[in-house]
Amino acid sequence: MKTLISVFTFTLAMTGTQATAQDVAAMNDLEFAHIAYTADNIDIRYAHLALALSDNPAIHEFANTMIRDHNAVNEAALGLLEKLGATAQDNVVSQTLNANAEEIIDGFVQLRGAEFDAAYAANELAYHQAVNDLVENTMIPNIDNAEVKALFVQGLEVFKAHETHAEMMVKALQ
Amino acid sequence: MHNTSSRRTVIAGAAASAVALCATPLRGAEPTIHEVNIQAFVFDPPLVEVRVGDIIRWINRDLAPHTATADERGWGTAALSQGATGDITVTDGMETSYFCVFHPHMKGAIKIV
Repeated sequence: MKTLISVFTFTLAMTGTQATAQDVAAMNDLEFAHIAYTADNIDIRYAHLALALSDNPAIHEFANTMIRDHNAVNEAALGLLEKLGATAQDNVVSQTLNANAEEIIDGFVQLRGAEFDAAYAANELAYHQAVNDLVENTMIPNIDNAEVKALFVQGLEVFKAHETHAEMMVKALQ
Repeated sequence: MHNTSSRRTVIAGAAASAVALCATPLRGAEPTIHEVNIQAFVFDPPLVEVRVGDIIRWINRDLAPHTATADERGWGTAALSQGATGDITVTDGMETSYFCVFHPHMKGAIKIV
């Protein structure tokens, strides 16, 4: 578990060197949309892994909620982009998030049982804390389009609920 | 003859009344519908006062799907996507504490009066 958390912290630091908060703040709405969409899909990947590797019913319930909720947010995002006639734009933050996820998944697949459950729960908490901070304090204040901003605000509500749920899960596993 | 006619009138009148009663339920017998909004991961209002036979209607206004499910899972709505509603009819002795299965920190309560 410590290994996974340190990988996560390290890779977030990598994100900082490749794209500072100021760089992210200067991005456009379509780049923000791509980052959010990427972050959603990464958490869906973690959840599918949890369903495959864990036997804990609480982990399964949480993972199914992640799949259900992040898919709902992504569907809403794709619907809005279609309405606006726009396409999300790939960028260095999305690429770094994906690279980080590969490392974390490589660590997850080596774990089993309670060790996997604890690592998954801890990563979910850390991941939601980090992404929520980025969305709330860097992205939302810098979104230009009102509809995109409204969707990010709704999405943040969902992700904050996940953070609370992850906190409960971490405590329950201790 | 007169008696027979009166009896028929009474029977016809009773039948008509019965039909009228079926077509127009008594005011007091109509169930009240209590709406509970699900918004920003909160049941609003968090407590509803109801009578047996009333209907509780949950309306999901969030992006994320939700449920309203009794703590011991004795009753529950289906998964409600954004904009969907779920109805539960209040029954005697039903569980009065509920939560969202997908987001267990979301809690609500029913008071049967």
